[in-house]
Amino acid sequence: MLITCPYCGPRDVIEFTYQGDGNRERPDPASQNFEAWNAYVYDRLNPAGDHNEIWQHSGGCRAHLKVVRNTLTHEISSVAFARGDHGSAARHKAEDKA
Amino acid sequence: MSPRRADTGGRIDRLKTIRFTFDGTAYTGHAGDTLASALLAKGVTLYGRSFKYHRPRGLLTAGVEEPNALVTVLKGEVREPNIPATMVEIHDGLVAISQNRFPSLAWDINAVNQLGGKILSAGFYYKTFMGPVFGPLKGTRFWMFCEHFIRRAAGLGSAGSAKDPARYERMNAFCDVLVVGSGPAGLMATKAAADQGARVMLADLEPHFGGSANWSEETIDGAPAADWARRTVAQLAGRDNVRLLPRTTVWGYYDNNTLAALERVSDHKEHPGKGEPRHRYWAIRAKSVVLATGAFERPLIFPGNDRPGVMLAHAAERYANEFGVLPGERIALFTNNDSAYRAAVALKKAGAAVVAIADVRPELSPEMRKLAAEAEAEIFAGHAVVATEGGKALSGLKLQRFDLANGALIGDARSIHADCLLMSGGWSPTIHLASQAGAKAEWNAARQAFLPPKPTQSWIGAGAFTGSFSTAEAIAEGRAAGLAAAGGQSTPSMLPTVEAVPGDPDPAPVFEIRAKGKSFVDFQHDVTAEDVRLAHREGFVSVEHLKRYTTLGMATDQGKSSNVPGLAIMAEALGKPIPEVGTTRFRPPFAPVSIGSLAAERFGDLKPERLTPMHDWHLANGATMYSAGLWYRPMIYGLSGETVEQAYVREAKATRESAGIVDVSTLGKIAVQGPDAAAFLDRVYTNMFSTLAVGKARYGLMLREDGLAFDDGTTWRLGEQDFLMTTTTANAGKVMQHLEYFLDVIWPELKVHVTSVTDEWAGAAIGGPKARQILAACVTGTSVDNATLPFMGIVRGEISGVPVMICRLSFSGEMAFEVYSGAGHGTHVWKALVEAGKPFGLVTYGLEALGTMRIEKGHVTGAEIDGRTTARDLHLDWMLSKKKPFIGSAMMDREGLIASDRLELVGLIALDNRPLNGGAHIVEEVDEANPHDSIGHITACCYSPALGRHIALALVEGGKARHGTRAHVSDPLRNRFGPVEIVSNHFFDPDGSRMHG
Amino acid sequence: MVEHQSPLEPEFHVGSHGNFEHGVEIILTETRPGSIVQLAAWPGEEKRLIAAIRTVTGLALPDGAGGGVSDGVKSVFGFAPGKFTVADEAEGLAAAFAKVVTSAIGTVTDLSHGRTAIRIAGPKAEWVLAKFFAIDFSLPAFPNGAGRSTAHHDVFAQIQRTGADQFDIYVFRSFARSFWKALCHASEEVGYEVQ
Repeated sequence: MLITCPYCGPRDVIEFTYQGDGNRERPDPASQNFEAWNAYVYDRLNPAGDHNEIWQHSGGCRAHLKVVRNTLTHEISSVAFARGDHGSAARHKAEDKA
Repeated sequence: MSPRRADTGGRIDRLKTIRFTFDGTAYTGHAGDTLASALLAKGVTLYGRSFKYHRPRGLLTAGVEEPNALVTVLKGEVREPNIPATMVEIHDGLVAISQNRFPSLAWDINAVNQLGGKILSAGFYYKTFMGPVFGPLKGTRFWMFCEHFIRRAAGLGSAGSAKDPARYERMNAFCDVLVVGSGPAGLMATKAAADQGARVMLADLEPHFGGSANWSEETIDGAPAADWARRTVAQLAGRDNVRLLPRTTVWGYYDNNTLAALERVSDHKEHPGKGEPRHRYWAIRAKSVVLATGAFERPLIFPGNDRPGVMLAHAAERYANEFGVLPGERIALFTNNDSAYRAAVALKKAGAAVVAIADVRPELSPEMRKLAAEAEAEIFAGHAVVATEGGKALSGLKLQRFDLANGALIGDARSIHADCLLMSGGWSPTIHLASQAGAKAEWNAARQAFLPPKPTQSWIGAGAFTGSFSTAEAIAEGRAAGLAAAGGQSTPSMLPTVEAVPGDPDPAPVFEIRAKGKSFVDFQHDVTAEDVRLAHREGFVSVEHLKRYTTLGMATDQGKSSNVPGLAIMAEALGKPIPEVGTTRFRPPFAPVSIGSLAAERFGDLKPERLTPMHDWHLANGATMYSAGLWYRPMIYGLSGETVEQAYVREAKATRESAGIVDVSTLGKIAVQGPDAAAFLDRVYTNMFSTLAVGKARYGLMLREDGLAFDDGTTWRLGEQDFLMTTTTANAGKVMQHLEYFLDVIWPELKVHVTSVTDEWAGAAIGGPKARQILAACVTGTSVDNATLPFMGIVRGEISGVPVMICRLSFSGEMAFEVYSGAGHGTHVWKALVEAGKPFGLVTYGLEALGTMRIEKGHVTGAEIDGRTTARDLHLDWMLSKKKPFIGSAMMDREGLIASDRLELVGLIALDNRPLNGGAHIVEEVDEANPHDSIGHITACCYSPALGRHIALALVEGGKARHGTRAHVSDPLRNRFGPVEIVSNHFFDPDGSRMHG
Repeated sequence: MVEHQSPLEPEFHVGSHGNFEHGVEIILTETRPGSIVQLAAWPGEEKRLIAAIRTVTGLALPDGAGGGVSDGVKSVFGFAPGKFTVADEAEGLAAAFAKVVTSAIGTVTDLSHGRTAIRIAGPKAEWVLAKFFAIDFSLPAFPNGAGRSTAHHDVFAQIQRTGADQFDIYVFRSFARSFWKALCHASEEVGYEVQ
């Protein structure tokens, strides 16, 4: 499987670490809503089809990525930085031309 | 009469003689020979014994699909079993032996198994060795009892136990177009793609590119096809954008057009070059792939079809045209299609007599009659072979009239004298890689074959792979595929012209001739047509189940020749058409792969390891190293004659009496920098860091989101926005990822950067009553007295001309300092410290003494922070700030995490003065015969020189409340039982007076 | 001035090795820069950081991910979003950057001891590196001056192309000897020289 890192380009999956379900929402740090915390810590979606996942390019630029992956076909339909403020960081210009 | 070498023909070099041995007998062959062709040229007909029945077997094929002629190649002490003789290139000094025979290939005791053929049918082992339902050999125990004997009798070659000294490598490759298969289609595709300027790789599992062009005797562009192929390859070899990979089997087609291939780099050489690997594993990422993998010829299924001397028609053609070897003098053919007629002509031309062509079809085309006449062969249209004769070689066969409409045999059989029978049951495209790539094959009734599916990945098929069996089609499709794969536009252009014998690509739909006798479907696993029918009678309807029950197609050849005939027989038994029965999906590898090539460089000396800056000093000064993860750390610095225990006791004792120094460079170190660094640490740690003054350090604890303890360590504030976090050695990577995750995903608004600086700093911890004096003797630029360097204070200075950072903190419980210097200065500083310590009795100590002193102090490490313990369990609840939320704070107070019966950290003292063991259980009552009711377990233990007792840390139910009570260790595995006293984990100097000084 | 000790020392054997009788196709060396510094910009501050790099080193970074440049003495390349590695033959680069990279722009992390720089050069450099890293080393895909972050098993590596046939590999110091040994081993088949 290859994941196309927005910074590094397509890389082998061995360079990446799965960092969990990307649908989770962390409650406000001070929240005492146990149900919300429980959902965040333990509940995971397990769809047969497109899934929002967090991957870290741990063997590369180390950025965390939001990946939409089809769990049936392994097809990856979108990859973006988890940190929105990195922007889309266009690939190296020389490579774009190549 | 027997097989022999023809005087001319083939690509072998008759001037170059090569010497090798097979089963201890010396043979000669020629450069260009395979082991199969060289032995066949010497008249060898017997190559192996079959898997179950030990029937004599000869060569069925000339290529990778060979099921019978499997040999073991010996290289020194190393043996590699189960290699098809057709794939072994001979070289001087080659030593090969046959398999699955005792005492010899010609006289095999287990051949008696043939007499028990009825018993050894499908599912024989499952049915026979189930064992009684009770008693000492019940169920699988009976199987295990019998297994030893069965394994001896049934099977293939045996692997050796000698260490393989060969070199294996992995190679990563990227290309625009990968072409698999180098027949006319593959060569045209490569050329077309290369002409477009694409980066092209061409892989073929054979040593010589050209595929069928090497033996078809067709004419391409007016020249013999083999010459055309040679010329084309020479042109390609000269191009910068083409990489040619002969002897390379593409064996796996994975997601995203990632393909795996095995290159046999030096198997064919007597002596590999210096540093040259034996095999190279290629991981290829191709933008697109051209599959030009050709097709496999199928055997026909009839009684005695496995006798030595019965061979596939094209294989004989290959032996004659490519190697100049005649597989027999009097040759008969048996076919259901036109392709075999070309073989008849080829063998006639090479010098054999073609005595008969039996064709199941009653009507033959004038072209085929003409070819038969050219071969001077008598035609038996509407006939089938119903038996073969002979022992270790073929002596004759029997023909009978055959009704194509219903498969009935009519009239009397007639005998024909022949020493070689060629058969052709049609062709199956080699669709394995396409099937691996993810889609289901489609049955084509005209071709009587599964054709490749619609691509689910970026590949294009060409040639026989697509069911287009003529060379002219292969050339056209190859060019088109190459162009398309390279993204080029198809323009009209002159294609090479082909002159070839005519032929209808569609065979008659006949797979089996049902007559009396064993008809083999899977030659390698000895599965007969009757076995398939038996499986059906016993209720197996799914093809996947059929495969597993009969083991059809599960041998090392993975059913390359048996798959379709097996399915056809199953379909007939079920009364269903073949497409409704379906086919099994092909999985990697296409052909066997050496384990060495997969392990490649990641073993032995080439395994990655991490060394501290002072590593060489430790080795030179008597350290016994201990591997902790990837790191190597001194365990003890043993004196001669000392045991490990004596050494660590001496080291720990000396440290508490004067001073000791230990290498702590492996501690994880993370630079946490930025305007929000302090705020971030407040969220990450359970305790406060924003209140920490610059130039001070603080011990911190991290929890996981679920409220359990995660890691601990000290963090030093070097500047307002600049912290140096330390982690445990084992958790350094995990903590780094944890921090990065929160900064990237949860709190992207925080301006904080984290960087691994573990390797930037060398760390030496020096502790003991004399530690401060030693520092004072060698540190310049700063004082190290209590006022300048209080507990948890940090100063900067120099040691022996090198800048250092010193933090006063203690893991040993002594007055101690951690001295950090740039890693490149680590040994320099270490030596200066050791030198300065000499007058004070400073010792170097290793992990064992470090562990001993931490147990005496009751400090926790990964053994206690084991992913199941909370801060309270470890008596670290004083570190849980109530002033702020932190990671884990919302979850840490859940009912189950604050229950009073949780395992809590305690100390244990062995009351019988004997050593304790890590992992031993703690019980209230000892019951050696039936240990039960564990109340906890030991996490770490040692002999404490400070206490003069064997002590341990343990996690015990309601631990604190048990202080002062007695319990017992219960360790049945090591037969260690005995009384212990439960005490506080702070065994030694509980109020910390020693470290505060 | 106390010299930095090389982590490669016991395994650093100057001379020709492996299958060199037919010529040496790989040259391996340790470049031992005096300074290796990591610079990281806050989101939106990348341009100011790039300007600071120009001020301190005189090197003009090309735009885009993984862009880089080297003048033979100083080198700089991007290895992650907003992050750059800068190396200089001279010591003191971190201190120089600390003066111009304010906390409003980003951070400066001195890694002069923590990373080891190994140079591989020669006609077979791409071939040997392909044994370790699953990235495309061909010139069009990996242009001169550019940087890449990747890993070989557990060994993180930042690689900068500093010539048509030359790459500088920055690895963690603790892994350097192990990686060096593997690099030498992999170079044997083509013949290599350690300089």
